[in-house]
Amino acid sequence: MTSLNHETVNGALVLKPSRRIDSSSAKAFEDDASALLDKGPKKVVIDATDLDYISSAGLRVILTTAKKAKTAGGGLTIACAKNNVKEVLAVSGFDNIFGLHDSVAQAISSLA
Amino acid sequence: MTGRLDMSLANDVQEVARVIDSLEEFGAAHGIPAEQCLRFGLALDELITNIISYGLAGRSDGIIVLAIEQRDGILHAELGDNGPAFDPLAAETTPPAGDIESREVGGLGLTLVKSFMDRLDYRRVDGFNRLTMEMKVKAA
Repeated sequence: MTSLNHETVNGALVLKPSRRIDSSSAKAFEDDASALLDKGPKKVVIDATDLDYISSAGLRVILTTAKKAKTAGGGLTIACAKNNVKEVLAVSGFDNIFGLHDSVAQAISSLA
Repeated sequence: MTGRLDMSLANDVQEVARVIDSLEEFGAAHGIPAEQCLRFGLALDELITNIISYGLAGRSDGIIVLAIEQRDGILHAELGDNGPAFDPLAAETTPPAGDIESREVGGLGLTLVKSFMDRLDYRRVDGFNRLTMEMKVKAA
């Protein structure tokens, strides 16, 4: 059972974290994402529509999730990031590693 | 307009959520745009997480105190802890590099702190690390 909002769209696992991925919530995100990936999907989209905040602990668990998806033969990308989240991704260089998309649909096609 | 928030934190990473919640309430009460409160909260998150994960790891006598003030359009915070002397501003922050395979996140928190704060100052006083930070509040 996971508290992380998610759905499967065209075979891609879309994770929709809400509010914040901070030091206190990063572990729960990592565990939930890992359990969902174990069920088979290889492509992961982080739909950041409802995400107001991400810390370096959050970046770390997204990186872990991305590595897991890549090992399985898929990948991870990010959609609909708000300014605060975009800024953190830019300072860390994660925007270039994962790619940022304006919609979940675009994000999913980028992983095809 | 002035305002002040004082907090005493347990040596537990779950406290980070309480700090950011309190900061959001403080910001709402003092007309600070939510996005800027979250930037300030991010810097606090990174610094407090470092204290709890390293400086005070395994210590039952750990003390962490936080005071946040708004004065003259500037958000100030003073963060104190009784861990071993550690100046986070002197720590190396290497520019992020590498692809997904080789990428590590170590040191990134301090890069974010330095990037988002306008002024940072570290002192060691009476057995406490004291980090002062400031961020100019921009009108919404």
